[in-house]
Amino acid sequence: MIKQIPAFLISLLIATFLLVTQTTATNLIWLNSINMPVDLHIVLSSMATDLVGMNSKGAFPVIGLIFVGLLISFVTARIISIWSSIKKPILYALAGGAALLAIVVLMPLAFYNLDLIAGARTLTGKVYLICAGILAGYYFGSHPAKGVSNEI
Amino acid sequence: MKFNNMRIFCVSLLLCSGLAASNGENLDIETVVEGLEHPWGVTFISENEMLVTELSGNIRRVSNGLLSPEPIGGVPEVLYAGQGGLSEVAIDPNFADNSLIYLSFSAPDSDQPKLNQLNVIQARLDGNVLVDHKTIFKSDPPRKTAAHYGARLAFLADGTLLIASGDGFNYREQAQFLNNHFGKILRINTDGSIPHDNPFSATPDALPEIWSYGHRNPQGLLVADDGAVYEHEHGPQGGDEINLIMPGKNYGWPAITYGVDYSGAMISPFTDQPGMEQPLKYWDPSIAPSGMTLYQGAMFPHWQGSLFISALVPGDVRRIGLQDANIIEEEILFTEFGRIRNIVSAPDGSLILVTDGDNGKLIRVSAKQ
Repeated sequence: MIKQIPAFLISLLIATFLLVTQTTATNLIWLNSINMPVDLHIVLSSMATDLVGMNSKGAFPVIGLIFVGLLISFVTARIISIWSSIKKPILYALAGGAALLAIVVLMPLAFYNLDLIAGARTLTGKVYLICAGILAGYYFGSHPAKGVSNEI
Repeated sequence: MKFNNMRIFCVSLLLCSGLAASNGENLDIETVVEGLEHPWGVTFISENEMLVTELSGNIRRVSNGLLSPEPIGGVPEVLYAGQGGLSEVAIDPNFADNSLIYLSFSAPDSDQPKLNQLNVIQARLDGNVLVDHKTIFKSDPPRKTAAHYGARLAFLADGTLLIASGDGFNYREQAQFLNNHFGKILRINTDGSIPHDNPFSATPDALPEIWSYGHRNPQGLLVADDGAVYEHEHGPQGGDEINLIMPGKNYGWPAITYGVDYSGAMISPFTDQPGMEQPLKYWDPSIAPSGMTLYQGAMFPHWQGSLFISALVPGDVRRIGLQDANIIEEEILFTEFGRIRNIVSAPDGSLILVTDGDNGKLIRVSAKQ
């Protein structure tokens, strides 16, 4: 189980990076659409600011939220894998997608339909973030620790 | 030189008296009413009588410091959820003759009940009942969120009504577009019609009732005797603002802001942009400004002309000294009551603080006899 930690952390970083940069991109694309002076420097500095800000300055650290989501879903996937013949990368990809789906759907339900993650306000944004979870889960499922199966 | 010394002496005396008053030495602080359920709006209908809205949907009458046990009847059903509910109450400039009052509240959209709108109605106060209701405004498009309604009302000197409409939280970008009511201050006639001299009356595709735009969640709105319109609004984390509102102007949200999102994400890297107005002042960290009054009473002469802004976080009142519509000082008062939802000036010159929560209180601040 300990041997799975590096793969888990990398999948966590993948999901976090994709979520944060999608929020940055959502804001900057809109600002650009109303002719605000968005240039490459702004893009890079905004991305860096958000990677720090969303993980340390918000009401909740995004990486913590995703950590909890992925941990629960991967453990669940591990239990399902005992009886299921679904290939591990697919199973964990579905688990990662489910984790992000839960985050983007359940959070608004808890807060009067408020989407606290700005990038998740649209259906397209929600689908993108679920895909980010799928990608993170696929990575985890595809990188078993040497000598053991890819089980958390 | 002598004149200068005298002037310094007078100013010192004035400052000292202000300080003494601020420290509570010369203040009588009395809880007038308690047990109000999330009180929000307050207005005086006579020298000794006020109406208080409870977010849950009641209007309570307080006469000579006593809370009437029976709420006012005839209040429309409201959506009491999140930040929504029965919000502002304002009296008509000719209330003494026509008994008309105006209410703002959130309510489900009649066609799409899962969505809701900010509503403003006019009604006549007949004894203890509201009659002759007339809906004069519904925000459009409806929203799915129960937050950021704005909902403050204020009358201009010409008798037209200003309505503060918030950005609905999820719809913040719409505050920059003139085809909707999110993040706007609107100006209408009291019968719901639209004045012909509004700034965007002739702008194609713009809603003609829009008076200013680029607002987030306005929670304070008032018109001074000189016609100046002051507004304050909640920013996100940081970036609460007080603005001098001028017709047709863009106040920038969310293209420019001094705050960041609750998630910690940057909403915009920009704090200024040509064509967008700067606030008179912004607060970072946020104070969650919640109500506002311009003090013009005789009870505290040294406070005349100051704006008093109630704040929810950490819970206090900010006295804002103004000179030529510019802010020259800020003083923090009344830190002992927790979250303060609103503040109004009473006809006798005292101040009424409205505390937030399910045991909301009205607290009168007056000069010691």
